[in-house]
Amino acid sequence: MALADYFKKTDTMTADEVRAFLENHRPDNYNLVDVRQPKEYEQSHLPGAQLIPLADLADHLGELDPKKPTIAY
Amino acid sequence: MEGGIHAWQGLTAAGAPEAGMAFFTVGSLPGELIALAWVLEEGSRRFYASLAGMLADSKAAKLFTDLTAAEEHHKSTLLGLYRDIAHAEPGPDFPRGVIEADEDRMEGGVKVSEALEWAKGKDSRELLELSMALETDSYDLYIKMGRRVEAEKAKEVFGRLVEEEKAHLGRMAALLDNKL
Repeated sequence: MALADYFKKTDTMTADEVRAFLENHRPDNYNLVDVRQPKEYEQSHLPGAQLIPLADLADHLGELDPKKPTIAY
Repeated sequence: MEGGIHAWQGLTAAGAPEAGMAFFTVGSLPGELIALAWVLEEGSRRFYASLAGMLADSKAAKLFTDLTAAEEHHKSTLLGLYRDIAHAEPGPDFPRGVIEADEDRMEGGVKVSEALEWAKGKDSRELLELSMALETDSYDLYIKMGRRVEAEKAKEVFGRLVEEEKAHLGRMAALLDNKL
């Protein structure tokens, strides 16, 4: 990921918009990523979310299908 | 997502990323995966049926009776899925003959006996919150197993289980909204 990518504006969705999206799409049609720490994930996470802590994201990008929309929190 | 998980006002799952996956052996045949899911649904059915008998609050008892019926419906759906995907008729002792599994398990991976021990003395709201949490964990597990398995038929099984569990959660939420 180039340095300039960090400053690219990313579309955001409200929680309600995310809920509607998840309700209307099959889980195999999107990437849902929890970028917090393992203990936070264990305590509570959105159903089906993959845990990829922010510090590890660059090393695990290959696990996400770039053709699918990605929702991160 | 704006606000992160703190802004989320919906169901959440708990546990480590690998939680519950040991129950489903990755190399299992599609029919075996369905049979394992059936075991978990039957465990939940027994749990809800026991709670219905334990509660003095008749409104809550009726809710758990309805949840018991919902699990029976879900089990029937899984038997249909078994016929469809395994191309075999479930035997009278199903899931015996297909798998050897710990039949004291329920959705969420907990033992039915331990859940019932915990439930003693709890009020209906606590029991409902536990039930929704366990069902949500089940939904979470099926999504992650669908991602984990590689065989297309196995992916199809978990994809169908995800849709079933999602619908089941919706029915439970509707029951909760109507009853409480």
